[in-house]
Amino acid sequence: MFLSFFSLVMQAQTVQLKGTVKDALTNEELIGVNVIVVGTKTGTVTGINGDFEITVPQNATLKVSYVGYKSQEIKLSGASQTTLYVKLESDTRAIDEVVVVGYNAQKKSSLTGAVSSVNMTDLAQRKVPDVAQMLQGQVAGVQVTQSTGAPGDGINIVVRGVGSINSGTKPLYIIDGNPSESISFINPSDILSMTVLKDAAAAALYGARASGGVIVITSKSGKSGKVSVEASYYHGIQQVSNLPKMLNGTQYMDKMEESWNNANPGQSASNPYTPQKSRTDLANTNWLKELFTPGQTDNMQLSISGGTEKVQYYLSGSYFHQNGIVVSNNDEFNRINFHSTVNANLTNWFKVGTNLQIVNSMQDALSSSGDAPGIIRHAFLRPPVISVYKDPSDPTYKASDPYTDLPFYSTNLQNNGGKWNNSNNLYELSQNPIALANNTNDKRGSFRTFGNVFGELAFFSDKSLKLKTNLGVDINFIHNKAFNKNYGDDDGQGTAIYAGQGRQNRPNTLAESRAQESTITWTNTATYNKQINLHAISVLAGSEYVGYNNSGMNGSRENYSNSDPAFQYLDFGNQNLHIWNGGTEVKSTLFSLFAGVNYNYDNRYYANVNLRRDMSSQFAANNQTAYFPSLSAAWRISQESFMKDVEAISDLKLRISSGKLGNQSGLSNYPSLAIYDSQGTLRRLGNPDLKWETTTQNDVGLDASFFNSKVSFTLDYYQKVTSDLLLPLNLPTFVGDLSPTIVNAGKMTNKGVEISAGYKNFDHAFKYSINANVALGSNVVNELPATLPSIYGQVTKTEAGHPLNSYYGYQMAGIYQTQAEIDDYLKGAPHSDIKPGYIKFKDLNGDGIINDKDRTYLGNPNPRMTYGLNFMFSYKAIDFSMFVQGVQGVERWNDLKKILDYDTRPFNHTTSTLDSWHGAGTSNTIPISTFADNGSSNNSSIFVENASYLRLKNVEVGCSLQEVFKKYKNVLPNIRIYVSMQNLFTITKYTGLDPESTNLMDQGTYPQARAFLFGFTTKF
Amino acid sequence: MALPLNFNQSNKIFYMKRTNLRIKLFYNILTLAAILGFASCDSQLHESPIGIITEQTPPTNSSVVYSVKNTYQLLSNTLNIIGEWGWDDGTVTRNDFVLQDIASGDMMKKWSPDGDQAWMDKFSDFSITPVNSGIKGQWSYDYAGVARANLSISYLTDLELCKKIALDETLRKYMLGQVYFLRAFYYFDLINNYGDVPLVLEPIKSFSDASKLAKRETKANVTTQINKDLVDALTLIPDGRYSDNTDKWRVSKGAVLAMQAKVALYNQQWATVLSTINTLESLNYYSLNSNYFDCFDQTKKFAENEDILQANHTSLTTPASGNGLCALMGWGFVAPTTNFINSFEANDPRLAYTVEVSKKQVNKLLGTLNGTNSGNDDAASNKIYIRWADVLLWKAEAALETGDNATAIAYINKVRQRARNTVTVAGTAAPAGILPDRPASTDKATIKSWLVSERRAELGFESQRFNDLKRWGMAKTFLNGIGSNYQDKNNVYPIPQTEVDRTGSSITQNPQY
Repeated sequence: MFLSFFSLVMQAQTVQLKGTVKDALTNEELIGVNVIVVGTKTGTVTGINGDFEITVPQNATLKVSYVGYKSQEIKLSGASQTTLYVKLESDTRAIDEVVVVGYNAQKKSSLTGAVSSVNMTDLAQRKVPDVAQMLQGQVAGVQVTQSTGAPGDGINIVVRGVGSINSGTKPLYIIDGNPSESISFINPSDILSMTVLKDAAAAALYGARASGGVIVITSKSGKSGKVSVEASYYHGIQQVSNLPKMLNGTQYMDKMEESWNNANPGQSASNPYTPQKSRTDLANTNWLKELFTPGQTDNMQLSISGGTEKVQYYLSGSYFHQNGIVVSNNDEFNRINFHSTVNANLTNWFKVGTNLQIVNSMQDALSSSGDAPGIIRHAFLRPPVISVYKDPSDPTYKASDPYTDLPFYSTNLQNNGGKWNNSNNLYELSQNPIALANNTNDKRGSFRTFGNVFGELAFFSDKSLKLKTNLGVDINFIHNKAFNKNYGDDDGQGTAIYAGQGRQNRPNTLAESRAQESTITWTNTATYNKQINLHAISVLAGSEYVGYNNSGMNGSRENYSNSDPAFQYLDFGNQNLHIWNGGTEVKSTLFSLFAGVNYNYDNRYYANVNLRRDMSSQFAANNQTAYFPSLSAAWRISQESFMKDVEAISDLKLRISSGKLGNQSGLSNYPSLAIYDSQGTLRRLGNPDLKWETTTQNDVGLDASFFNSKVSFTLDYYQKVTSDLLLPLNLPTFVGDLSPTIVNAGKMTNKGVEISAGYKNFDHAFKYSINANVALGSNVVNELPATLPSIYGQVTKTEAGHPLNSYYGYQMAGIYQTQAEIDDYLKGAPHSDIKPGYIKFKDLNGDGIINDKDRTYLGNPNPRMTYGLNFMFSYKAIDFSMFVQGVQGVERWNDLKKILDYDTRPFNHTTSTLDSWHGAGTSNTIPISTFADNGSSNNSSIFVENASYLRLKNVEVGCSLQEVFKKYKNVLPNIRIYVSMQNLFTITKYTGLDPESTNLMDQGTYPQARAFLFGFTTKF
Repeated sequence: MALPLNFNQSNKIFYMKRTNLRIKLFYNILTLAAILGFASCDSQLHESPIGIITEQTPPTNSSVVYSVKNTYQLLSNTLNIIGEWGWDDGTVTRNDFVLQDIASGDMMKKWSPDGDQAWMDKFSDFSITPVNSGIKGQWSYDYAGVARANLSISYLTDLELCKKIALDETLRKYMLGQVYFLRAFYYFDLINNYGDVPLVLEPIKSFSDASKLAKRETKANVTTQINKDLVDALTLIPDGRYSDNTDKWRVSKGAVLAMQAKVALYNQQWATVLSTINTLESLNYYSLNSNYFDCFDQTKKFAENEDILQANHTSLTTPASGNGLCALMGWGFVAPTTNFINSFEANDPRLAYTVEVSKKQVNKLLGTLNGTNSGNDDAASNKIYIRWADVLLWKAEAALETGDNATAIAYINKVRQRARNTVTVAGTAAPAGILPDRPASTDKATIKSWLVSERRAELGFESQRFNDLKRWGMAKTFLNGIGSNYQDKNNVYPIPQTEVDRTGSSITQNPQY
């Protein structure tokens, strides 16, 4: 508009100028470069090919400026000049990117807190479906773990150590101004940047929900200029790796024979396994090999962006599909994303915009970890002598259910008058994992609408005052449906009316649930920015309302006479018996006011104060309000006059911050009230005095860059003290069987050091960069209430003075070699049940009795060091990147080992048990194989393993076709093709499937696979 | 985007107008924000709760009536009444079979030893410590029963409430009688297992209630309360073999009298035992079944003559109330010790009815003779707490202790006679000459030994023997003799460590644990 106005006034002396702006070094076109006529406010920006067009006065001087480049002023040479070709030189010293820190954006140089910003284009090499995975290993102090490798399973992010015992430890995600508990629904390609607010300085503006850190995500938006279209596709193949080696059929039978003999000394003549060894129907099944097959991944993505000066848009659609590494197609994940971003400048001072994501996802959930039914676990346990399928000649064979179930079922029936007799069975009653995988039908669907609309008003000619209102919605429709098909052999047990049905899922059931979860966020902010001489001040004030509502219904029926998918609806189950249904609703409200002031003097001294006041409906009326303040300051030493001449140092800044953050996540509804069940029984007492868990965090940091910013370095030391921990306090049981009441008690400290360093050199054709980060952390529980001196988990204990969830149990001292050794060691009590070859535990109190007074701390599941390393280079048409990530100093409870190698049932074992104790002096580490309890039923150090690892997460090699075939540059589209490899190798001493699993007990998890991907991206 | 540089008058007016518009818009938004934001938020922050029942929700007629049935639940073997597969808490099912039968040396955890639920094995060798799951589970079950009884009593003694919910007065009294009885039952189990225990008689309302109650009341004082509750129950429960002809499982007058007799027996109040049992006999409610197995047979429940107090299990009901111990038996749990098998006299038909070793089948607890129910977590077989044969042997014992040897022997022989006349499991008549009548004797020790072995054979796996051994002072000698490390301190089990911890040691531990 104003251009035409301008041209009207000065028509006589103007000239139509066309031009291009490129990088002086790389010759890349630069998009979005400002071209302004000096002394006026006339200007334009370059478009998608670095080109611009502008009407200017003759002899005008143009200023060409771009973030990160040295500005140039160019005087035009009169009416004859109608074209202009500009080459901008990069100004590494001047790089001052803008970082979105939540309610507002700040220049990176002015940050006073521990804030790490991740540029998503740098992470484009990580072909993962979940945004959270992309963060892994990128930011010091942000631990990202994938607890299972099953498609669609969740990712955990922990910022600066687990800060809460019972409450949630997840960070708060702010997606385009909208708070969210999850980011896994987002299409990674739609994201422009992620900012992690690690300390209290910036996060305090999010108050009550920020104790786990805040991750601010900004979506891509369109730029004015030519339409840009990007399309990409990749296909991947996953393969399981690092599987433990299991006994084969012969080894298994020998092992069972040995175990029986050891449990029944002197009776080897009547060993039932000995005659079994000559059976002719013994199979030799490698269950792991049968269970895993190559998995497939497909991802396609199309985005279109562009716009005018008035309206910019970004539209994208993507489809992701993964079929996991377990046989059958019941471990799939599908996700379809639509994303649109539209920003419109209605007037010079009124801007509106919207950001909308629609996501439909469907997970075929498979029992990916844990005990029941535990597909992975059963593949380990099941004896190799059982075949996968029954022989079609077997009288119990059914084409609809061809899998073996009970061991040697038809033989057992024949020998026992047509009825299953378990006492004649010598093999483990495991489930057939292949049947489990094929019969699993558990669909988890979600349809999510996530987005916001905003309007922003600017005041004054310099737009120093801005008012913004932002309305966000997050509506998630959840639909879960599981049909548990009846199958397997009839063991003659179970309720009489289901007699004759197979033992698995007897009777069959359908369970279905639907829920609607909605969060409405309404945020109003006012910002004021003013620079007066050397004083710069920026003020933010605002209010925020968050309304949460979750309502759902569920139902189930059983005994479907027809389990065909056409009848897998509630209507078709048993009409009379066990018709279950339920439904309820949960609501909560958070209302907050907040304010912040940033001040800096001469870009040298910075100070920042934030305060948030939160009011939550989850607490009783007298405790609804809490205040969360923070204070931070920075000194940019490099701006001091005495530093100006130190050429080597490009930037040097010292930061310090302190503040309080809250946590209320994980609270059940209405924790201040006593709750009764529908039968009128008291379920829980309330705690009217309940309030927020508070984390006080202090941080000292140093940012530095050297040699024209080629070398960058950041160091942070933090201390995070969580007090008034939300703890579930159990009353003594003599007042009845009550669920615990949540109280505020206890204290826990996390502290640590975070270092990240990088080097990049883009000066030559061979461009390369290397970035490394490492975080050292420690966790200790300082205080627990007197009535809760320790919190026990299945294998853990939490107690003041020790890290959270420390493994606890008996310390293995070795293996008893002789009876004399036992008699001497256990002189305090009769010990007829202890035999040579059994595990010898340390008698810590020296009373000659091994009992629970001899238990001690065995390990710490909180990692002491996490690190990541990225390396990349590009040379002409080729680019290469590599990402290594690891954890050093962490223990994990390998529960799979317990059941595989040390259980007393006839499970299959790993080959490590071939070296078990078999006489004095044969082993001091692997106990005797026996069906009696050799001490392995005790929680002991034998199951606690060092789970440190180093993993080559990703390697990618790409190639730009235009660069390879330079001659045809104008004909060829701009295509990059690449090959990517994930989880190529892992170095670890951990003997479980995956050291990356963070379950406190590793019961056999769906492992992360090695993957090979190939794909292309194109842009035009 | 940027403003024109040299705007004229009209531009200025235009700009001013815009500014005015902007200010107007701003005020509008501000007002809207104030109204919508503050007003509605404030009310939303204080909304009354939805989707839960809180202390402010008044009890209804049906919730009061249900509170009585709910109190019975802790008697049953139904799985997961407390928690969900809480093996570590010992709450998967009621632990009588562990704390009584395994402890007595009659029972082993499983048919083949393994490391599964190792806490159960600690009762075989008496290496029980305060963190043992079994003692924790039993404590939880009994006190959950007490808490439910207290809640129910608080409703049923609140006459104003009962009037408001139009509760029938006859029904109110009957229900009150039942919950008094149940409270007494749970406390009796508690003092037998743990000695002195906290005495809670009202529903707790707050944390401070819990800390006020955190002290152990003497066994004698708890017994006084038990007797008081039983006396109250006796006046409130109607006469009749069954107190309710529809719900025959409800506590009857006979059950209250039998319980009074048992409490007196455990306190060696022999005269009370005799007089109470005489009253019971005169009521003619009970007699010995001709077949020993009838009182366990699930097809004959409430259609036989002997059972006095039992937990009723039903299949396919909501909420589930099947016999879950049958599921555990299907997984190989519950097996006899050799010492138990060998303790039976030759050809005693009761052995095979209790347990058929060849089939690894615990018939008595399955409630069937063909293995049906094994592995079924929803079985309909009942759990028998008090039956007539037990009562007859109490009378024998009280008679013996009061010098009436003839009555003692006669009552032992009543039980033996029924046993020998019972057909064997195979359906054939038992061989002649088995289990002959005990002859007349004046030697108290001899008669006592007959009583001891008769109770073991008759009541095997019925969770009676361990308490018998303890009250007879025989536990240490007998159990040490079969290789168990029972010591004097084991006369009571340790108090669960959680109770000591959660009360900051206001609840003290039993000596030497």
